[in-house]
Amino acid sequence: MVLTADFGDPQSVASAIQALKARGYRADEIDVFSTAPVELAEALLERPSRMSLVAVTSAVVFCLSAIAFVHYTQHDYPIVTGGMPIFSWWSTGVIFYEFTMFGSISATFVMFLIESGLLKRRRSLPAPLLEEGRIYLRLFCEAGDAVPAAECLYEAGALKVDEAEVRG
Amino acid sequence: MDTAVDTHTDNLRDTLWRPLAGASRGYALALAVTFLLGAWGLACWGYQIVRGIGVAGIRRPTMWGLYLVNFVFWIGISHAGTLISAILRLTDAGWRKPVTRIAEAITVFALMIGAMFPIIHLGRPLVFFWLIPYPNSRLLWPNFRSPLLWDLTAILTYLSGSIIYLYLPLIPDLAELAQHANGWRGRLYRLLSIGWTGSDRQWHALERAMHRMAGMILAVAVSVHTVVAWDFAMAVAPLWHSTIFGPYFVAGAIFSGIAALLVAMAIIRRLLHLEAYVLPVHFDNLGKLLFLMSLLWFYFTVSENLTTWYGNSPAEMNVFGSRVRGPFAPYFWVMIFCNFVLPFLLLSSRRMRSVRNVTIAGVTVLIGMWLERYLIILPTLSYPRLAAATGFYKPTWVEVSITVSTFAAMAMFYLIFCKLFPAIAVWEYKHGSHR
Repeated sequence: MVLTADFGDPQSVASAIQALKARGYRADEIDVFSTAPVELAEALLERPSRMSLVAVTSAVVFCLSAIAFVHYTQHDYPIVTGGMPIFSWWSTGVIFYEFTMFGSISATFVMFLIESGLLKRRRSLPAPLLEEGRIYLRLFCEAGDAVPAAECLYEAGALKVDEAEVRG
Repeated sequence: MDTAVDTHTDNLRDTLWRPLAGASRGYALALAVTFLLGAWGLACWGYQIVRGIGVAGIRRPTMWGLYLVNFVFWIGISHAGTLISAILRLTDAGWRKPVTRIAEAITVFALMIGAMFPIIHLGRPLVFFWLIPYPNSRLLWPNFRSPLLWDLTAILTYLSGSIIYLYLPLIPDLAELAQHANGWRGRLYRLLSIGWTGSDRQWHALERAMHRMAGMILAVAVSVHTVVAWDFAMAVAPLWHSTIFGPYFVAGAIFSGIAALLVAMAIIRRLLHLEAYVLPVHFDNLGKLLFLMSLLWFYFTVSENLTTWYGNSPAEMNVFGSRVRGPFAPYFWVMIFCNFVLPFLLLSSRRMRSVRNVTIAGVTVLIGMWLERYLIILPTLSYPRLAAATGFYKPTWVEVSITVSTFAAMAMFYLIFCKLFPAIAVWEYKHGSHR
């Protein structure tokens, strides 16, 4: 069961989230929708992220791969140019740096797609059609809990609460 | 500082989306002219491919001409966007909102144009892909120790990063546009908005990604123009083999980038009637930055020339003399006027920093910086270490046509972009309304 509550201001949304959490709902069962970012207290809806960790890991992997690849190619067809060694850190450092940054940038983009949920959309979930100035709160709950949860949302200041079945 | 505008969302959307609908006669004419000029440039390039690189004016000893001047110039212009936008985003400058997307689009288009020039300059452009390392029947790999490969990797990294950096904050606007647009536009916006619903998870992910991207793109932007500078500095040629070339080029790139951004802002403000959003205060702030960069550029120019003059090395003095009192002197003094004297007069006092004056300074700096790139490349090649090899370069109509066409192409890309996507991020203006 999915409840979608319509709010007019962020304070009511914050109250609703606090009330729902007090009733035992987890942050991953609650979603807030709006046409612009809603500024809520950071601890209210925690969204853990591994974006930085993955970006750094990817940077290291890309850097090491670039070193290995350049080392291999320079020795696969060894030719002396400009009196430089076949493989030298000085002359290839720029390449490694750019690959490192590329790894980090591409990982950040992929993590954005993953963490925003854009890669694994569940089409059966009803995403509210957003109206200007409105904030929508979506709650996943058991069918039996729908009525008390809706009352809780109204108490917090919801203007309207819709119910929908989750398909699939 | 008053940057307040009418952020009532209906007005905001109406004003910022209005340019997307229909096309005035003036717009159609501008698009047609820029398209024809761009097509003429492509035809000239085709002529060069068929007849050979000899149709360009590059001869021994000046083997680099306008194409390389344009390459360095456009890569410099590309610093307008992503770099400036990233600095403003990281410092959370509130006045950045109408500036960032205009700037980020400049980066992508300038990079696309700039990256074409090394290929145009190649004697056999159809085999440019030999630069890319892939297993091949020739059993050859590209030489990673060559600065040409540094350029390739740096530019590709910067281009991919800049496209992502432009695309990410476009997604919420595209999703909103998709709700209101029909036909092919609706399909395009739906495709590009990749299912954005405006959930808090998506907003969090977007803000996190943009902050990280801003930091990374700064590091890449600095490296890209440093690498372009090293293309010259790694050669033991008079006035190229300099340790300050990296920072000198980066400062010049940011300088010309801000100038390009100011000119683009002035044109877009006028053409799209965005006077209520792109305010005089934005020109004033960017005018101050332009003035700061003008002073920094002048400091680097004096440092570079004073050490050369004091060192009095014959080979370097040949090039130095050709710049300040020889055949290149007119360009040199026009460059000093455009990059330092005029910006100093127009930007140093607050009373003078009007929208018109700041835009004029932007245009002159663009002219001055193009001349600076010309003066870095041509005098050194015309006066090499072997005095007997002295030569003089004169660009041909093919090179001039291709150069002009790239400016037209830049304008054309921008005209198309502003017709397809909002020039100012609507959601960024609304940000803070839910507080």
